[in-house]
Amino acid sequence: MRELFRRISFLLHRGRLNTELQSDMEFHREMAARAGRNNFGNTLRMREQAYEAWGWTWLDRLYQDLRYGTRILVRAPGFTLVAVLVLAIGIGVNVSAFSLFDMIALKPLPVPDADRIVRLERRSPENYTSEMAYPSFVFYRDHARTLSAAIAVMGVPPMQLEDDVAATSASFVTVNYFSELGTRAAYGRMFDPSMDASPNTPPEVVLSYGLWQRRFGSDPNVIGRVIHISHKPATVVGVTPYAFASLGDQHPDLWMPIVQQPYFIERSTVLQDWTNSSVRMWGKLMPGVRAQVAEQELRSLTDELRKQHPEAVWDHEYIQSSPGGHLEVVQPELYRVVAMVAVLTLLILVVACANVGGLMLARAVTRQHEIGIRIAIGAGRGRIFRQLCTESLVLGALAAMAGLTLAAMVAKLVLAEIDAPKWLSAMPDWRVVLFTVAVTLFATLFFGLMPALQIARQRQQKTIARQILVGAQIAASSVLLIVAALLVRATEHAFYTDPGFGYQQLVTVDPQLGHHGYTPAAARAYLEQMQTRVRAIPGVAAVSLVKFPPLGHITANSSIEIRGRHLMVYPNSVAPDFFRAMAIPLRMGRTFYPGEKHAVILSESFARRQWPGENPLGQAVGDGTDKATVVGVAGDAHINGLSDDDAAEEYWAAQPDDMPDMAVVIRSAGDPGTIAQDVKAISASLDASVFPEIRTLKAVYLDNLKLIEQIAGIVTLVGLAALTLAAVGLVGLVAFVVTQRTREIAIRMALGARPAAVLSAVLRQFRWPLIIGLVAGTAFAGFGSKLLRVGLYGVSNLDPASYLVALGMLALIASLAMLIPAARTLRLNVASILHHE
Amino acid sequence: MPNSLSPAGALPLLILRVLNSEPLHGYAIAQRIHVLSSDVLAVEEGLLYPTLQKMLLKGWVEAKWGISETNRKVRFYRLTPKGKIQLEQELASYGRITHAIQEVLRTA
Repeated sequence: MRELFRRISFLLHRGRLNTELQSDMEFHREMAARAGRNNFGNTLRMREQAYEAWGWTWLDRLYQDLRYGTRILVRAPGFTLVAVLVLAIGIGVNVSAFSLFDMIALKPLPVPDADRIVRLERRSPENYTSEMAYPSFVFYRDHARTLSAAIAVMGVPPMQLEDDVAATSASFVTVNYFSELGTRAAYGRMFDPSMDASPNTPPEVVLSYGLWQRRFGSDPNVIGRVIHISHKPATVVGVTPYAFASLGDQHPDLWMPIVQQPYFIERSTVLQDWTNSSVRMWGKLMPGVRAQVAEQELRSLTDELRKQHPEAVWDHEYIQSSPGGHLEVVQPELYRVVAMVAVLTLLILVVACANVGGLMLARAVTRQHEIGIRIAIGAGRGRIFRQLCTESLVLGALAAMAGLTLAAMVAKLVLAEIDAPKWLSAMPDWRVVLFTVAVTLFATLFFGLMPALQIARQRQQKTIARQILVGAQIAASSVLLIVAALLVRATEHAFYTDPGFGYQQLVTVDPQLGHHGYTPAAARAYLEQMQTRVRAIPGVAAVSLVKFPPLGHITANSSIEIRGRHLMVYPNSVAPDFFRAMAIPLRMGRTFYPGEKHAVILSESFARRQWPGENPLGQAVGDGTDKATVVGVAGDAHINGLSDDDAAEEYWAAQPDDMPDMAVVIRSAGDPGTIAQDVKAISASLDASVFPEIRTLKAVYLDNLKLIEQIAGIVTLVGLAALTLAAVGLVGLVAFVVTQRTREIAIRMALGARPAAVLSAVLRQFRWPLIIGLVAGTAFAGFGSKLLRVGLYGVSNLDPASYLVALGMLALIASLAMLIPAARTLRLNVASILHHE
Repeated sequence: MPNSLSPAGALPLLILRVLNSEPLHGYAIAQRIHVLSSDVLAVEEGLLYPTLQKMLLKGWVEAKWGISETNRKVRFYRLTPKGKIQLEQELASYGRITHAIQEVLRTA
C-alpha cells in the first residue's frame, strides 16, 4: 500500500526527482573521473532504466502515443472530420435509443425509496389482469407484513368538471398516495393519511398543476374553494407540483380519495364488489425485504383469500410484482421491443464502423512510408500496433463526445415533442455516459482493430478486409432499409385501408352502468331507452350494443396457437344488430337471436385457420359448459387489436347479465358532427347522475396511428442515414481504388481496352460483397421481421413490394456510388499519366 | 579492462549492508563495495542507480540532501527501519542459500 503511495508520489514529483537523479549521477561521474575511471555510459539510458523501476513507463508511452496520434489526426483534417462525423452518427443513434430506454425503465422516480416501490398484478397460467377488486386490495393491505405501504389507484373515464363541455381526466387514489411518494404540494396540501382516511371526511379534490394553470388561471385562492365534479361539490385542498412524479406515468387532472368514490359516482358499489377488478395496486416493500419474499407472502395470502372469497380469486392465481419505481412499469413484452430496437441501432453502428474501418485501411496505404521508417529504427510490431490502436481511441473519444451531445439534443427534442413528465431531463445521467463509453469501446474495437492488424503486419493484400467491410455495410443498410420500407407500407396501409369497420362514422357511448349500481334489468331499460332516443337523432344510421367498445380503454384477449401459428383472440359480447351497425359484413351464416346461448360468431381468418377448407358453420368451440356452436362468420374487424394482423375476433350474444357492462355504439350516416352533444343531452335526461364517456372514433383512430407514423418516420430516417453513410463510403473507396490503379487503367486504355472492360476490371472486387451483402441483409430482415407482425397493420412481414423497393434503392445507390468515381477514370488523360513515371 | 565481477543479484543486499553503518551517497556506496571486496566487485553506474531506485520504491532506503566531502550538495541514502528488517531477512536467506550451495558442491 505504502508502495503505491510512493509510486504515485514519484509520478507527481517527476521533474524534481529527475533533477535529483541527474545530480547524483553527475556527482558520481565527477568522483569517478577524479579517481581516474572513465566509466562513460549513456546517462540518458541509465536514467531511463532508473525510471523503469518505478513502473510508470506504460503511462509515458501512452502519453506519447496520444500526442503523436492527435498530431497525425490534426494533419489530416478531412479524414478526421469525416471519420468523427460518421462515428458520431453511429454512436449517437445508439445512445439516443438507450437514453430513451433509460428514461422509461431505468431512471428511478425522483421520490424517496423508489427502489422499494413495486407494481402488483394478478396472474395465473391462463389469465392475466392488471387490476384487482378493491376489497381484495384491502385484504392484502391489512395482512401483508412484507409491505410497508399499499397504494390503490382507480382510473375512471373523464368526469364532468363544473359545466365544462369537455370532460376532465380524473383518478381516485388511496389517501397515502402522495405521502408515500413524498409529493410536496405547490399550493395547499396533498392528501394526508391521518386526516383524510375516513369516509366521513368532507369531499375533497387535488388539482394537477396543468389544470390549475389552464382552467383556474393559476389563482392561489382556488385552495378551499368548492368546485363541482359530476355535479357533486368538493373542496379543493391542494395543487400538485409542476414537476410531479406519479406512479406509472399517469397524469389525471383531478385526484380524489378512493374512499369517496361512491360519493362522486352515485350508487357505485365498486368498493364492496369482490368480483369487479377496478383498482391498480402498488406497494412499498419493507426496508430490506426482497420482492421475491413479498411475492411468497402474497401467494399464501392469495390462498387464504380464496378460501374466504372464492369468487375473487382464480385457480392457481398468484400476485406478481414488477419494479414500480420507474417511469413505466416494465412488462416482459417490453423487452422484446427493446431487443428489436437494439438490433436496429446496432446495425447503423456497424455501418458507421465498417465505413471508418475502410477509411483507415485506405489511409494505411499512404502511411506505409512512415511506418516503414519506424520499423527500421527499431519499433516492434507490438509498439506500432499499440500506437495505431491509440489513434483509434482518440477518434473514438472525439466521436463519443460528439455522439453524446447529439443524443442529448435528440432527447431534448423528443421530451419537448411528447409532453413528457416535467421531472425528466435530457441531460445524460451516469448510466447513459457509461453506455456511451461501452459503445465507443466496442465500436473502436471493431473499426480500429482490423485495420491496425493489417497495417502492423504490413500485408499488401488488403482487398479481403476491404471487401468484408463493404459487404457488412451493404448488409446492415439493407436490413434497415427493408424494415423502414415495411413500416412505411404499414403506415400507408393503416391510413388508406379499411380496418374492417367504418371507424370514420362511429361514436361510442360508455355509461359504465355497472359502476353506478344498476341492476341488469335497470341497465337493460336504460340502454333500450337510450337506443330508441338515439335512433331518433337525425343523421344516425344505426345503433347497437357492445361490451368492449372499439378502440376502447379495456380489452380482453388471450393468446392461442392453431397449428403452430399464433393468434390473439379478442372475445366480445354484442347485441344482434351489432354487425349491421358497425358495417361488418357477415360472410356466412347469420347473426344472433337476442340472448342466444351457446352460439358464437367468429371472424373470417379465425375460422379459416381453425378449420381450413371446411365449412365452419355448425362446428363446436370450447368444451364442457362453455361449449358453443358457430352460427356465423364475420369479416375481419380488428376493433380492439387494431395493428395486429394475427388478431381474431370471437363474438358472443349479449346476455341479460351483461347489460350493466354494455356500451352503445352509434353509426352516423355522414359526418358524426354534433351527435356527441345530442347523446350527452339524452343521457342527462335519462339519468343525471350518470356521465357516459362519449368518444368519436375518427379522432381516436388517427391518434392511434400517430404512433406508427412517428416510428416509421424515425426508422426511415435511420435507414436513409445508413444508406448515405454506406454510399459515401463506397464512393470514397472506389475513388481510392481508382487512384491506386491509375497507371494500370491508363495502360489498359492505351492498349485499346473498351470502357466497359476497364470498369469491370476495377470494380470486380466489389461485385461479390455487394451481392452477398444484399442476400445476407434480406435473409436477416426476413427472419427478424416476424417480430414486427404485431405492429404492421396487416402488411405481411415478407411483403414483396417493400423488399423490392428497399433492395432496389440500395442496389441503385450502391451501383451509382461505384460507377461515378470509376467512370471518371475513362476521361483520364492517358498520355499524361503514362508520362508520370 | 577491469577483471572485476559485477555483484548483480546480490547488489541490494550489499547496499543494505553498506548503508547499515552510515548514510552514503551513490558514489561512496560503489566505492565502499569495491574497497571492502578488495577490488573484486565493481558496481557499474547503470546497475547501481536503477537498484537504488527500486529500493527507494520499496521503502528500504530514503534519500536526503547532504554535503559531500568535496563540498558539493549531493543526496545521501539512508537505511530505513523497514530496510533494516529487509537486511536481516536477506542475510539470513543468503546464508542459507550459500550453505546449501556449498553442500552440493562439496558432495556432488
